[in-house]
Amino acid sequence: MKLALKTAVLAFAFAALGAQAQERVIRIGVLMPISGPGSYFGVMGKEGIDLALEQLKGSVSGYRLQVQYEDSACSPLQATNTVKRVLEQLKPHIVIGEECSDASLAIAPILEQAKVVQLNAGSVTMKLTESGYKYVFRIFPNGEQQGLPLGRNAYTKLGARTAVLLYEKTNAGVDSADGFEKHFVAAGGKILARIDFGRDVNDFTAIATRIAALGKVDVLPTFGLEGQQVRLSQALAQARVVKGGGGNAVQMGSIWLPYGFDQKAGAAAEGYIRIVQFDPTEKRSIVQDFIKAFRAKYGADRVPTHINAHAYDTILLVAEAVRRGATDSESIRDRFSKFRDVEVTTGRISFGPNGQTTDLSVIHFIETQKDLTWKGLDW
Amino acid sequence: MTDLLALFVQQSVNGVYLGCLYVMVALGLTLIYGVLNQINFAHADFVTVGAFAALFTATRFATKVLGLPDTGAYLLSMVAALGTGALLGLAVNAAVFAPLRERGDELRPLIATIGVSVIIENGQLWLFGPIPYQFDSPFSRETIRVGRIFFSMQSALVVAVSAAAIAALYAFMKFTFLGKALRAVAQDRETAGLMGINPNLLIAITIVIASALAGVAGALLGPVLVLTPFAGASVIVKAFAIVIIGGFGNMQGTIIAGLLVGIIEAFTVQYLGSGLIDLVVFVLLLVMLVVRPTGLIAERKEENV
Repeated sequence: MKLALKTAVLAFAFAALGAQAQERVIRIGVLMPISGPGSYFGVMGKEGIDLALEQLKGSVSGYRLQVQYEDSACSPLQATNTVKRVLEQLKPHIVIGEECSDASLAIAPILEQAKVVQLNAGSVTMKLTESGYKYVFRIFPNGEQQGLPLGRNAYTKLGARTAVLLYEKTNAGVDSADGFEKHFVAAGGKILARIDFGRDVNDFTAIATRIAALGKVDVLPTFGLEGQQVRLSQALAQARVVKGGGGNAVQMGSIWLPYGFDQKAGAAAEGYIRIVQFDPTEKRSIVQDFIKAFRAKYGADRVPTHINAHAYDTILLVAEAVRRGATDSESIRDRFSKFRDVEVTTGRISFGPNGQTTDLSVIHFIETQKDLTWKGLDW
Repeated sequence: MTDLLALFVQQSVNGVYLGCLYVMVALGLTLIYGVLNQINFAHADFVTVGAFAALFTATRFATKVLGLPDTGAYLLSMVAALGTGALLGLAVNAAVFAPLRERGDELRPLIATIGVSVIIENGQLWLFGPIPYQFDSPFSRETIRVGRIFFSMQSALVVAVSAAAIAALYAFMKFTFLGKALRAVAQDRETAGLMGINPNLLIAITIVIASALAGVAGALLGPVLVLTPFAGASVIVKAFAIVIIGGFGNMQGTIIAGLLVGIIEAFTVQYLGSGLIDLVVFVLLLVMLVVRPTGLIAERKEENV
């Protein structure tokens, strides 16, 4: 009897080990802000990732894509604690995230030490790919890459000569403002003031008053989260600074705002020119197929935002790496570093030696119209 | 009007509006401290509950069920926020504060307010989710212009409601029997009890009034805040600073300090930079603690509340 029991236990143990050896999995940790003022990033990001996984039926080349979502709240502290837990529990091959620069920067050295790839889709700070990390890859244009077209186009296309920089006091805000200033000033423009604000600022009337008192301002590059930008645009309109309030200044922005911002800000958003990372009017089949699938899953009236799109793209890129033979973190890193012109919904991805995407096809300009719709600008 | 004068007046107007918002939040805090000698760490969450109550009343009930126009819906939402705040205060007092007070321990009710705060925040997170809500007041879209000075109808409403709340509270305290009884309880709870006043009832009334004020503050702040279950936290730190600067538990001090902080904030944005607002306010707080630790209006129990 005892012998039979021992045999059964051994047989079970071997069977379990065998099953484990056969199961081929790519473990993906996803760190997104699901709570707090940046939670729209996380909610939209999850939609994009879920859709991509559904289309792939959860696996690629015999590898199951196992995804674990975590809330890192746009917060460096929470992101740090969360990534440590994910590393310990999930033992991921790759971590996607965070969306906010400060949180992304906080987890980068931890993932570097653990030799786990970090694929970032939504952070702008230069430091993320300029700090020598070998496991960081980013498909989002950095502050410099966005600042160049913003600054130059403000000067050349809009004929702007003066600007006031408005930005949240974070790495993302500062780097975005620096990027604009560098290229606007190089083109011959003048910065009249740099005005930063914390994420706890709720009322922007005093800031709008200050800008109104500065005299003729041509452009207002603005870098902040959606909720604050809505209030800021409304205050600027009230102070008759921006076009939406009868003023002359044009608000400009980099990739922070999703589609839908214009309706929330109302008339104040008229004339707002900004970069988006995803253009739903693009004719490429990957874009149109994505929109079709997105609407089928989430509702016919929905237009996918750049956050939906770039999150969707992260899974496409992981899948592409697996198709090219990646089986673990090290080989994902290797395949990523060889990516050239990989087509995704936001554009084409080619990673440079520092892990930053070098292809700027992901940058598209749009302008908010009087009726709060937007049109693409051929810039 | 010269440019400089216009700018000065405009920023003062902005500051008064901000100050009134802060006063609305701080009044409830100071009222509870004045009577109970207790800090309510859940006050921010009462404000958030008020904001959500106002939001859902305005957008779901008043417009869709009652068919009210936007302005009527928003005004009704303020009443709903007031009622929700009062009911919440009543419930929290009955369930948590009153039983703990009976044990005669001052620390436990204080810790309990932290617990209440966590429960309310997580309850709201469960109910409403983490994504910010867009709460537009119809008054925010209307701008009043007097010469070169401008302000939104919403700011005018905030100032008017704050002034009305202060006046009503003052009249209640000064001229009604309940108000006088409340002041007696603030001065000496035991002696007031010996005089036939029911201190527990008066304390419950205080908490209900403070919570109702928090609810109205939420309705006024809703269209200003990025509305999430944690929204109240962004103003509560400043409200605490105002209560301390004004003199803990002193209503007049709180009103003066609130307006002062609002005006300082507006001029800090103009001349130093908005990134330095918190620094300036908290330097002021530290200076007050060193130079005049009793606050702008020194604490005299009988004059509090």
